[in-house]
Amino acid sequence: MLTAAAECTGLQSWLEPSQADQSTPRVLTILSSVLEKLVARNDRLIEECTSQALDGLSGGLSGPRVGRNLSAFQGVRAPSISIAKYLERLYKYSSCSPSCFVVGYVYIDRLLHKYPDSLVVSLNVHRLVVTSVMVASKMLDDVHYNNAFYARVGGLSNSELNRLELELLFLLDFGVVVSSGVFEIYCLHLEREMLVTGSCQKIEKVLDLNDVTEISVEDTNTVSVVD
Amino acid sequence: MAIAAPGQLNLHESPSWGSRSVDCFEKLEQIGEGTYGQVYMAREIKTGEIVALKKIRMDNEREGFPITAIREIKILKKLHHENVIKLKEIVTSPGPEKDEQGRPGKYLLRMRNGNKYKGGIYMVFEYMDHDLTGLADRPGMRFSVPQIKCYMRQLLTGLHYCHVNQVLHRDIKGSNLLIDNEGNLKLADFGLARSFSNDHNANLTNRVITLWYRPPELLLGTTKYGPAVDMWSVGCIFAELLHGKPIFPGKDEPEQLNKIFELCGAPDEVNWPGVSKIPWYNNLKPTRPMKRRLREVFRHFDRHALELLERMLTLDPSQRISAKDALDAEYFWTDPLPCDPKSLPKYESSHEFQTKKKRQQQRQHEETAKRQKLQHPQQHGRLPPIQQSGQAHAQMRPGPNQPPMHGSQAPVAAGPSHHYGKPRGPSGGPGRYPPSGNPGGGYTHQNRGGQGGGSGYSSGPYPPQGRGAPYGSSGMPGAAPRGGGGSGYGVGAPNYPQNGPYGGSNAGRGSNMMGGNRNQQYGWQQ
Repeated sequence: MLTAAAECTGLQSWLEPSQADQSTPRVLTILSSVLEKLVARNDRLIEECTSQALDGLSGGLSGPRVGRNLSAFQGVRAPSISIAKYLERLYKYSSCSPSCFVVGYVYIDRLLHKYPDSLVVSLNVHRLVVTSVMVASKMLDDVHYNNAFYARVGGLSNSELNRLELELLFLLDFGVVVSSGVFEIYCLHLEREMLVTGSCQKIEKVLDLNDVTEISVEDTNTVSVVD
Repeated sequence: MAIAAPGQLNLHESPSWGSRSVDCFEKLEQIGEGTYGQVYMAREIKTGEIVALKKIRMDNEREGFPITAIREIKILKKLHHENVIKLKEIVTSPGPEKDEQGRPGKYLLRMRNGNKYKGGIYMVFEYMDHDLTGLADRPGMRFSVPQIKCYMRQLLTGLHYCHVNQVLHRDIKGSNLLIDNEGNLKLADFGLARSFSNDHNANLTNRVITLWYRPPELLLGTTKYGPAVDMWSVGCIFAELLHGKPIFPGKDEPEQLNKIFELCGAPDEVNWPGVSKIPWYNNLKPTRPMKRRLREVFRHFDRHALELLERMLTLDPSQRISAKDALDAEYFWTDPLPCDPKSLPKYESSHEFQTKKKRQQQRQHEETAKRQKLQHPQQHGRLPPIQQSGQAHAQMRPGPNQPPMHGSQAPVAAGPSHHYGKPRGPSGGPGRYPPSGNPGGGYTHQNRGGQGGGSGYSSGPYPPQGRGAPYGSSGMPGAAPRGGGGSGYGVGAPNYPQNGPYGGSNAGRGSNMMGGNRNQQYGWQQ
């Protein structure tokens, strides 16, 4: 079924680690670049809105433009780890199939279509990514890690990730099925995104994570250690 | 602000689920215990409509939202057919605030989000009065031939629909076939179901389907299979309806396979090309030659019935009849024809109106029955269909032309025969049951249970397939949170210790709830 989606698209090679970097499938670099661009744009948007809002009702963080639907994913401050490194980290430790990242991206996109006033910003992108990739992996991979593991890799608490999982499932109305046709369209879309911006070469190589064993996406000072 | 431009990708709109609270429903009775939570009969307050609420148990924090529930929801979302159970909506319950180490950050976050899932999540199904096994096990129950044809045709129609939509059910058995008082039969419990693709031979787990209904190819360890696995189960059910009792009641996988070979003959490269390449064939192949005895053993069956059964219980899955072809079988088009579901007798549901006294009496009776069952676990008191011989009990004599039989039900078998996700037993996917020596197979946990032991389960979940492990990988198999023998049942509903009045499926096979609890205790959620 879904796992087969990758195969039938003929994009298998695209999903596998690129020649340049044996450990990182190209989809990760493309996806992180797409998300980074999006976040940068939306962050700027929010900033402008906030500076214009003289009364400063909600201090910008949960300002009206962000929309309330993604509020569960909103942190108080942005995690220090970059999106690229975060994706790489998820991939490295969870060993989920690269297709999970495409499907996770589909979920995020579905959210945004469904709740058009929602914005992916630096405060929610990490949580959105880890939750959607985890759910995608539950859907796609017959063998996958549990939530507790993803929580440790993702740097949030088990209970928060569980809650975000439910939040995502309900926001999506449990629309977690991605047909092979849709999968292929999204792959092509991601590909095109790279061609349009021509930034393919500019992507800085994702840093080696070997020395980064602790991250936290949580607002609290709790640090999750992955060993 | 979408990242992907193609807006046309997300056209499918559906009513928003999870927006309503479970408070919109009034719980009437607990009617079952599923693999992932209790099942209640409930009434929607606004409309008065009776529904079944299946609570999704979420107490295994490490696993998060149960994957069986996600699977069931996503599959039922796309299946809409009169012979497939309808998932009406999903409701949430805010419930009492539980302390999670009381971290301030999370507390704030939770407040902000209203924490609407904390109390639990319920799937709302249309209400069905019985399940096929529960119905068949009512004392004195005999199905007429037109009735059997009617049920079989509905089963095949629903299954054909699933297969056309590329869904394998993977747990077809009597207790997953729900029947309402209009005579409609619906497939339920899609927790093990999955989509499949015709062109892609993906590797699928062979740890599915309750043992007694599991096809030989799965028992031999194949991981590439298709709709034929469901058709084997259908064949088992068909034979069971005609024969009056399960035809392959194996205790463990090797015995199961042996029972199959004894009836269907030993597989070889002639009758099943490629069988010798199936992973465990060399370990499990029969040690002596066995010839197919199906026609001989069931020679008393109607000719067309036997013909159809032959094609369902074909060892080689590629030669096994499909649901579509089965529907075209002579059997369904010769006299006596399948009856109209509406003409079937209505088996009285007594739950709503049962007095406490009646409940107690019934419970006593069931406990007696249970003790008997426990002593003779393999005995099935079911009767073959009417037509061939006289009846032991005259209370039920359903027939197509008879009026509904209110009040005529057998004294023991009060109450409808419910399912909605009864314990599925060890069939449940990878990691649900131990590798072997699994006494009673699917049925230790099953309503037929009575195998007493369940001892095989103490060995914990089946070893994960590879790293990680989807199920039970949390490393707390039988352990704790639910603890105490999965006693949620008794605790939550003092009136329903082991067998509720909803004896339901339990009626006549008393030990269901025990099985349920045991299952709960060893379920992968824990």
